[in-house]
Amino acid sequence: MDALWADFATAHQKPDGYLLASTLSPEPPATDPARLYNFNRWTNAYSVQTDLRYKLQYNPALSLDKREASAWLDVFTAYYHFVTKLLAAEEAQTAGRKGEADWTAVFKGWVDVVGALAKGYQNSTFQSWTIPCLYCAAKYLRVLAIKADDQLASQRDSGLAFGGLQEEDAFDPSSQHETLEDAARQINRLFALCIGDRNPIEESRKWALYGLANFLIKTYFKLSSVSLCRNIIRSLRASSDDMPALSQYPMAHQVTFKYYNGVLCFLEEDYPAAEEFLSSAYEMCNKKAMKNIQLILTYLIPTKMMTSHRLPTQEFLSVYPNLERLYGPIREAIRRADLSAFDAALEKGEDEFVKRRVYLTLERGRDIILRNLFRKVFVGGGFETPKEGDTGPPVRRTRVPTKEFATALQLAGADVGDGNGGVDMDEVECLIANSIYKNFMKGYIARDRGIVVLSKAGAFPGTGV
Amino acid sequence: MSGAAQSNSNKTKATMSDSTVGSQPLQTQKPAAQLEEDDEFEDFPVENWAKEEEVGAQANNTHLWEESWDDDDTTDDFSMQLKEELKKADSSRKG
Repeated sequence: MDALWADFATAHQKPDGYLLASTLSPEPPATDPARLYNFNRWTNAYSVQTDLRYKLQYNPALSLDKREASAWLDVFTAYYHFVTKLLAAEEAQTAGRKGEADWTAVFKGWVDVVGALAKGYQNSTFQSWTIPCLYCAAKYLRVLAIKADDQLASQRDSGLAFGGLQEEDAFDPSSQHETLEDAARQINRLFALCIGDRNPIEESRKWALYGLANFLIKTYFKLSSVSLCRNIIRSLRASSDDMPALSQYPMAHQVTFKYYNGVLCFLEEDYPAAEEFLSSAYEMCNKKAMKNIQLILTYLIPTKMMTSHRLPTQEFLSVYPNLERLYGPIREAIRRADLSAFDAALEKGEDEFVKRRVYLTLERGRDIILRNLFRKVFVGGGFETPKEGDTGPPVRRTRVPTKEFATALQLAGADVGDGNGGVDMDEVECLIANSIYKNFMKGYIARDRGIVVLSKAGAFPGTGV
Repeated sequence: MSGAAQSNSNKTKATMSDSTVGSQPLQTQKPAAQLEEDDEFEDFPVENWAKEEEVGAQANNTHLWEESWDDDDTTDDFSMQLKEELKKADSSRKG
């Protein structure tokens, strides 16, 4: 028990916000695994206030002023009651009595801790070095809310809850994340508490803004309310004049924020912006955070496909087995300009692509395949026989029979058949016209002559020919 | 054809696992937690790291991206096949 108060005192002396936050965590530190248990036994619900006052107000190792001591007294009183509920729930769970573990009560207990903390910040009793406590508050609001919702869902499934009303409730999708929605509101309150801080910047709670925004956005993602994420980013932008630049925040906050911003831009199909955020997140990410690196790349790979039509190299992809499984077949199909392999890869991965919301973007890889295919026809067509007296470099054949494109499409497995074993030339022309329209190819179709006239100066922009 | 068959079997698998979860409510918590684990951006265990800890500063961090087309080699399988087909079409037209 003494370790908790020793940490609390050391945190104040240094000052060290992260150490301070660890004294309020629902997870005991690795060095003191029995901390919560001991804290719970150290006092009881009746004398908790007295015992805490003794530790906080009359502790020679601490020199808190009265207001501060009383604010911490409220926080730790709430924390004590929270720990009691948490331990009861964990005990029920380990004893195999999952049904008796009341995670909703645990969540509510944590909301009380957060409420007491928020009060300490509201009247600026807690200084800005203590803001890691807010990260701890936000982090576990999310974690505990998800636990509570999972439990409610499983009770609903097994028909334990809500008696006769269960059917109605079970099919109301909005009630699936009831607790998490509450958590989002709570985190949003903390965010508001910081964005409105008028203290000078070096003592400002604004240093907590990106950290809290990340927790909030992460929660909104889980709730699938992407538009609410935009609100948060908008309000950050609106107050950007009065807050430090993103680059001055901790690396972890920067990378996380850039990741979510990148994914948001990706979902809004603003690929150039997505590329900027995601590339930067990738470059700056801690090399040991393998899972996060893979998540960043999950969106950066299709983004690059859209912006510069570039693909990850085989050696790059092979570093990440999950990504190789996810994108390897698509990559191969595009490189080989193999439409049937592309369709098969897209269909095989459909569930996961849809879940990760990359399906629609990947589908547009088909345009790249068509471009590569048409390009093969062009390159395979060789060069014009040089005219007499021609001294310039050889010129590629730019008048290509539409039939050649049709043959290439058929070979690659495109759906251009006319149903009678022949080719539907209208369909072929349509694909060519599309490619020209999308700027993958420069030229025009001379229908009456059955040829495609390609530009002599860069028929396939950006590809060297 | 084979693609369609595969996706069908995938779908059956998916529905099957769904129904097993539904009939064993006690286990629903586990898949949910796993889903989160593989979906969500993790909190970094540390707040700050040195430049040399960044992915972008690693020595092997080169040649990550390449063009989506094979080089201008006209002897790859597809190009050869295409040449063959075009020749065939050409001769049949002449003949």
